[in-house]
Amino acid sequence: MSTDGRVFGKRVPALSSRLRPTAEVELGHWGGPRLVRGKRVLDLGCGDGRLALGVAPLAKEVTGMDPDAELIADAVGRAREAGLRNAHFEVGAGQSLPFSDGAFEVVILSWTL
Amino acid sequence: MVDALHEVHRVLAPRGLLVDARPDSRVLAHVERRTARGFQQFGTIRTASIEMGNDRASDATIARVVRDGLFRRTRPRRFWHRVPFDSLPEVRRYLSEHLRFAKRADWTVDAATRRRYADEPFVIRRAVRYELLTKI
Repeated sequence: MSTDGRVFGKRVPALSSRLRPTAEVELGHWGGPRLVRGKRVLDLGCGDGRLALGVAPLAKEVTGMDPDAELIADAVGRAREAGLRNAHFEVGAGQSLPFSDGAFEVVILSWTL
Repeated sequence: MVDALHEVHRVLAPRGLLVDARPDSRVLAHVERRTARGFQQFGTIRTASIEMGNDRASDATIARVVRDGLFRRTRPRRFWHRVPFDSLPEVRRYLSEHLRFAKRADWTVDAATRRRYADEPFVIRRAVRYELLTKI
């Protein structure tokens, strides 16, 4: 086990992704950049794109999906600001995924299940 | 949830990887004061009982799709994550708003100590559990 303190807390909404580990920290624990490098990644329950946007610079393509349209709009805006053209976001739920069979090498459920 | 994991299995390429990461309610979270040398334990925080039930349901869902032969699992692991706060009242405010945790910490220091250091920086240290599952 290890510990990190690189996340920014203070007074923000209790469900805010700012209270969660950064994408860099989470990915580092899971196995590092090699886990997603050059791969097609689906971030299911992506919220405001915290993780998807962190993974995008490494991955071939990242798709974020969340049932909350406001959060998806936020993620789209952040991707545009960051100039991440390989990050795509859609409103939707996990029970019916609008993707073809075998479309992704990695699916991430981070704080989703 | 089982339906969603069947969908995940479908959209994954052969030998594709599913990452399941979430807060770990098997262990308590901790309230700690940040000191010059590190951190001082001030108390512990339990997970709200409804969230414990949700976590058990998630565990059961993963176990089921593994049992059904959709995924092969690796040993689950855990890491600790610190969320900083400006003061102890900020910690209390956070707990009062947050759905996942019990509304109050179980203090391991006395009230006088809490008052003495109330305006100093604190953290909540919480566990995150993760597991990598390979599509079969």
